[in-house]
Amino acid sequence: MGEDYARPEVLVSTQWVLDHLDDPKVRIVESDEDLLLYDLGHVPGAVRIDWQGDLQDQVLRDYIDAEKFAELCSKNGIAEDTTVVFYGDKSNWWACYAFWAFTLFGHKDLRVMNGGRKLWIDESRPISRETPKYPRTEYKVAGGDEPAIRAFRDDVLEHIRAKRPLIDVRSPKEYTGEMLHMEDYPQEGSLRGGHIPGAKSVPWSRAVNEDGTFKSAAELRALYEGEAGLKPSDDVVAYCRIGERSSLAWFALTYLLGYPRVRNYDGSWTEWGNLVRVPIERGAGA
Amino acid sequence: MPAALDAILTELRESDRQERIDLLIDFSKNLPPLPPELEARRDAEHRVEECQSPVYLFVEMIGDRVALYGDAPAEAPTVRGFVSLLLEGLNGASPEEVLKVPGDLVDLCGLTEVLGMLRVRGLSGVLRRIKRDVTRVAFAHNGSTS
Repeated sequence: MGEDYARPEVLVSTQWVLDHLDDPKVRIVESDEDLLLYDLGHVPGAVRIDWQGDLQDQVLRDYIDAEKFAELCSKNGIAEDTTVVFYGDKSNWWACYAFWAFTLFGHKDLRVMNGGRKLWIDESRPISRETPKYPRTEYKVAGGDEPAIRAFRDDVLEHIRAKRPLIDVRSPKEYTGEMLHMEDYPQEGSLRGGHIPGAKSVPWSRAVNEDGTFKSAAELRALYEGEAGLKPSDDVVAYCRIGERSSLAWFALTYLLGYPRVRNYDGSWTEWGNLVRVPIERGAGA
Repeated sequence: MPAALDAILTELRESDRQERIDLLIDFSKNLPPLPPELEARRDAEHRVEECQSPVYLFVEMIGDRVALYGDAPAEAPTVRGFVSLLLEGLNGASPEEVLKVPGDLVDLCGLTEVLGMLRVRGLSGVLRRIKRDVTRVAFAHNGSTS
C-alpha cells in the first residue's frame, strides 16, 4: 500500500483480492448497510456476513455468543487460521464493524479491502451473483480480546473521570446536540442530544477519501493528532450512534496509526443519550 | 387495497427468503426513470427524510387517479426496490385506496424477516410520505375542480 501505515498488511488492495480469489487460505466477506447489494452481485467467491442478522444477538443488545460465532465461521468455511478479508458499502463502515466483531472473538488474521465495494465496482472488476459453498470447518473460538477493544458505559464513566480522550465520529450537528436524531437514521433515536463530556469531534468521513479508500498515515495523523490532540500513548475510546462508524475510527487508529489502546464504545449515543443522569455536554465543545 | 398492490403482496408472501430478495432486486432494476421535468425538482421538499439514501417522491393527480414518480440510488437497492414496488402497486389507484393501504405493509410483505428491524423503518417512511402527499395533492385537486 505504500502509505506508511503502522500495520500495512491489514489493508489490502482490490488487486490483492483479485489475485487471491482462488486462494483456499483466504475468505472474502461482504458486509453492507444495504442487504441486497450482495445479491445484486459481489466479489466472486465472497460470502455475506450481515452485521444485523449474523453478528448481533436477535434478543439482547449484544453480539452473538462464542458458540454462534463458531457456527457462523464453520458454515462459511472459515478456519482459525483463515485470512478473512472484509469489504462493503459506505466506505467500509460495516466491513470495519465486522472486522471489530471478529476481533472480539479473537480471530487473528483479518484484513480490510481498501476502497470497499464501490472501488471494486468503479474499477470494473469481476462480479458474481453466485452464492459460493465451502467445505464446513470446525471452528474453535480463541476469544479473549473483548476487554482490549470494547468499552461499556461504566468504562466510559471511568474514562471521563480520569479525563482520558474520547473521539466522537458523528456528524457535527449530532455532536453539538442541535440534532436529536440524525435526520437519515430515525431508528437510532435518543432522548437527549449532545456528546460525552470532553469528547473531540472527528466525523468519520474525514478519515476516508472520495473513492472510499483510507486517507494516508500523514493525513490521519494530522486529523487525529494535529486537530483532535491525540497521542499514540493515549488510552482512547471512540463512539458514534451504534458503534459502526466508530469501528472505522477504531480501525484507523489501531491499524493505520498503530495506537496500542483504542476501544470502541458500541453502546454509543443510542445508549448514552438515553441513560438517566449521566453527564452530557452540548455545543461546540473543547 | 389496490388490486396491483394486492397481487405483489401475495407473490411476496408466498415466496421464500431468497425469492423475496430476488423480487425486490427485480423491482429495483425496473424502477422507471423520472420524467425529465421532475429530474430538476429533486430537492429537499421532495426528499424522503426517513431514508438513509437520497430518495425522492412526486405525487400528482391525473383525473381522479394517483400518479406516482420516484427515484432512489442504485447503490441502495433495498429502498429503490421498495419505491418501485409501491409505484407499481399504487399507480392509477384512487386517493382513498392509497390512504387505506395498511401502515404495516413492510411487515405484511414479509420484508422485516428478510431485512431486520433496523433496516425497515426507512421503508415505512416511504409509504407514510406517499400517503401524506396524496392527501395534500388530492385535497388541492378537489379544491380546484369542485
